[in-house]
Amino acid sequence: MEPSVLSRSRMTGKKTVNSRRIMAAVMVIAMLTALTGCAGKENTQTRKKNKVVEIPMILTVDSSTGNKNEEEVVERFNRAYKGKYHIDVDWVMETEEEYRKNLKRMNVTDELPAIITDLRMLPSFYQMMIKKGRIEDLTPYINEDQEWKDMIEPSVMESVREEDGKIYLGPVSTAAFACSGVFWNRELFEQAGISRFPETWEEFWKCCEKLKAAGITPLALHTEGTAWAAMLLATAEVAGSEEGAAFMKQLYPDTYQNEPGLEIAGTLKKLFQYTTQDALHNDFDVAHDNFVAGNAAMIPNGYWMIDQIPEEMQKKVCFSTFPENKLIGSPETFGWAVVSTYSEKVKKGAVEFLKFRTKLNKEQKEELLNSRTRQEGTLLDDYLKAYTGNPQIVPNYQVKWNSLLQEDVLGECLAELAQGKITEQEFTQAEDESIRQFEEEQ
Amino acid sequence: MKKSKMSGIQKKYLKYMCTLLILALVLSSICVWTYVRRNMTDVIVDKYEFMNEKMGIALDNLYRKTDAVTAEIILENDVQKSLKNKELQEVEKNALSKYFAYIDLNHVADYCYIDNKRNVYAKSYSQIGYSDFQSSGLREKMGDEYAKTQWIWTRDYLFGTGNEALFIGRYVNSMDYAHEPGIVYLKMNQQFLESVMDKDRKIAKDVAVGIISPEGKTCIRQEPEDLSIEKRTMKKITELTRTKKSGVIVRGKKIEGGILQAYRQEETGMVIFTLVPDMVLNQGMMQILIVLLTIYAVIAVLAFVLSLYASQTFTRPIRQISDAMTSFDGNDFTHTIQIHTDTELDKIGHAYNEMLKNIEEFQNEVKNQQKELRISEMNTLISQINPHFLYNTLDTIYMLARINGEEKTMKMIQALSKYLRLSLSKGREIVTVEDELENVKSYMEIQQIRNENLFRYEIECAEELKTRWILKLILQPIVENAVKYGFCDIFEGGLIRISVTEQAGQLTFSVYNNGTPMEEQMAEKLNGLSEIPVSKMKDSFEDKKHGYGVINIITRLRLKYGEDVRFFYESDTNGTVCVIQIPDDGKENCEQ
Repeated sequence: MEPSVLSRSRMTGKKTVNSRRIMAAVMVIAMLTALTGCAGKENTQTRKKNKVVEIPMILTVDSSTGNKNEEEVVERFNRAYKGKYHIDVDWVMETEEEYRKNLKRMNVTDELPAIITDLRMLPSFYQMMIKKGRIEDLTPYINEDQEWKDMIEPSVMESVREEDGKIYLGPVSTAAFACSGVFWNRELFEQAGISRFPETWEEFWKCCEKLKAAGITPLALHTEGTAWAAMLLATAEVAGSEEGAAFMKQLYPDTYQNEPGLEIAGTLKKLFQYTTQDALHNDFDVAHDNFVAGNAAMIPNGYWMIDQIPEEMQKKVCFSTFPENKLIGSPETFGWAVVSTYSEKVKKGAVEFLKFRTKLNKEQKEELLNSRTRQEGTLLDDYLKAYTGNPQIVPNYQVKWNSLLQEDVLGECLAELAQGKITEQEFTQAEDESIRQFEEEQ
Repeated sequence: MKKSKMSGIQKKYLKYMCTLLILALVLSSICVWTYVRRNMTDVIVDKYEFMNEKMGIALDNLYRKTDAVTAEIILENDVQKSLKNKELQEVEKNALSKYFAYIDLNHVADYCYIDNKRNVYAKSYSQIGYSDFQSSGLREKMGDEYAKTQWIWTRDYLFGTGNEALFIGRYVNSMDYAHEPGIVYLKMNQQFLESVMDKDRKIAKDVAVGIISPEGKTCIRQEPEDLSIEKRTMKKITELTRTKKSGVIVRGKKIEGGILQAYRQEETGMVIFTLVPDMVLNQGMMQILIVLLTIYAVIAVLAFVLSLYASQTFTRPIRQISDAMTSFDGNDFTHTIQIHTDTELDKIGHAYNEMLKNIEEFQNEVKNQQKELRISEMNTLISQINPHFLYNTLDTIYMLARINGEEKTMKMIQALSKYLRLSLSKGREIVTVEDELENVKSYMEIQQIRNENLFRYEIECAEELKTRWILKLILQPIVENAVKYGFCDIFEGGLIRISVTEQAGQLTFSVYNNGTPMEEQMAEKLNGLSEIPVSKMKDSFEDKKHGYGVINIITRLRLKYGEDVRFFYESDTNGTVCVIQIPDDGKENCEQ
């Protein structure tokens, strides 16, 4: 009996030892597992991010009204392309001249935004940008996109097309919103006993006299910023003659010492007799403020100024063509360019934005012209009447004349001309000097 | 033989305790070590990561600064004028050469501006010509960027030192015309790049920090004296320049020799890295390890001492029980144990004491039984030795009575002789029913002689039942009680009826007497004897005088036939009957 009991107990003991070892192993594994579990890293979840393509842009804020120019198109685009593209606008409080100078600065320091405006108003800069390949050739985009192509009026398409057939500026749809005429204060006119806007230049000058005689400053002008307001009047006046109209169509005229050139100089000199004292050496914003404040009876400018006139002034202000039914307009000045140095993604988005703008512009035109709710006697109604009244469209001097003349000579010499420090001939000589310098640099 | 101070249970307990403790400490130390190392690494890495990012941002700012300064140069009127077709006048050229000396940038070692008409503007003592610029190879490194500020790490063949240096170059384009651009170069001294580390120089002293050019060249490198970066490690670091990502490109990556952080400056493509050597990581860990081991040692000692103390609480009483049990010699029942631990061990101790007491009682009982057995055997022997002498004597008395004509004496002697012969039965325990009845009959005849006319008797037994077997001397004590107690109040007319029947396979004896009925209390008490243990039956009657005969019968019956045997009294006004039911029908002689 003893051996069997021993052997059984040995066996039992062996089994016990084995089961203990197994238990110990299980416990160790469990503890290690627990420890490993404790020490385990949290599972990281990968998140997919839909990267919105940011498209940088600089736009100006109107210094008089505080309105953000082109805000509507930007907001509508950002809404329409939410999650895909976003126009990231840097709103700057700058005059147009400052803005355009900054464009040049930003170009040479390689800081241009992806979309640039007003480029066409700097003809030589624009040409340089093309030559240096700094802006995108939009021709393939437009040619391949029939929908976009169909949105653009032929005259607008023609205006943005370069001699070699290429298009660098994303155009607006219509020239309907690209024209400039004269905004005039009906109340001040009535105070001077004038019931309507002059239809001829002779009447215009008489009107100025009458206003002046009534103690009202007839014109809101300025000399800086290419003397835009004064130049509009002067170039509209010169286009009255066949020779003058042809002169205005010339790109980079050879000389200003000719009849149209002298006529423009003469008109400019005369215009500054009817303006405010602060017109010299100031930019358009000063002239605009004078007009809005009722300090001057007239200011030449384009369609875009309608929104900038305060509501309380809207009823007092009328819009007319320049005398002899002329409007100044070059739709290419509204073309926006895409800067080449950006990535393909950004450029694609920028081009999409330009197309969106064309489309919006077309919709706005259709809404405006077909609107049954169009109110008689409003400023907008005045503009539409002027635009649809078969006016003579005179090209904008800004897209035709050299930069030196516009940025340096006009700013410097016009004040002297206005003050009588130089004659019309001397003024045109200075203009021709700019041509020489310009050609020299070219 | 020296007795071990520690019990087996305690040894095992401590062995398992120590194993568990070691396992727990090892596992917890692995866990703590891993956790602390990771956290420590994280903390250290975070610190240097932050430092590296800060230096990266400083590098960004440095780039922005150079970008702003060169933008200022580009926009400078005279610089722009120098790009026009018309040559600058000598005075203007001199002024422009000096202009660069006043730019708002520190650590400019030298500068050089080349306009688009091959005019070179440099420090007045520099004799650099356009040909020097052409042969310097710097222009080729500018690529086709339009006006981006570029950092070029190259050998200086422009100013003639031949050493590697950082050049900041930028094309200068005309703002108005599409002229050929000019180029401006600023040669920076070593302090320029080192300035990114200025604020962190103290922290950076323990780690390797450096800046790698996009071409993979080391621009600056600073490392502790006792650290040398392996070539393979350096190769891995230089490979980082291949990435197109910018900002923090490597965050706490473990590589050979340490942990790497890297930041790529977006515009320049330069990579600033920080390699935290393993040594730095381990330094902090060693201190923690020492503290950890100290704590563990204290825990281990405390755990051992406490385990020893705690185990003694249990092992001491167990050992007490063990000692008591092993030292028990079977005689000394006084050696009880007293355990007070408030645990189950107290019950064990108490149970042991109870067990000891029970064993003692059992032992005493066995002793008594053995004693009784020996007396019984002695009596049996005596009774076996004397029968012949007794029978001869009785025969002699019988002959004398016959001679004297004493009939009663003869009859009594005859009955006694028969009784004795049957009582002795040659020492057998089991007899036939017939013999048992003969025996009781002899007894009753003797009693009839003694008590004339007191009772008469009747015996009813089928012939076939007479051959059955029964424990001897069962009926006589019952008859004796019937005569003694049943007829105590009468002098004549008594009846004793003995009947033997077979009912349901049981041999049943009933002894009836018509005397004074047995008291109910006595009947219940006698009937209850069958329910109590055999050993306790003796204690049922306090006076020890009564019930001896019945107890003897029941004891013998239960010992012989087991617990199924039945013995009971029934009494009513007609008399008392005693019934004995034997489970076996008595067909076999169970003594055989």
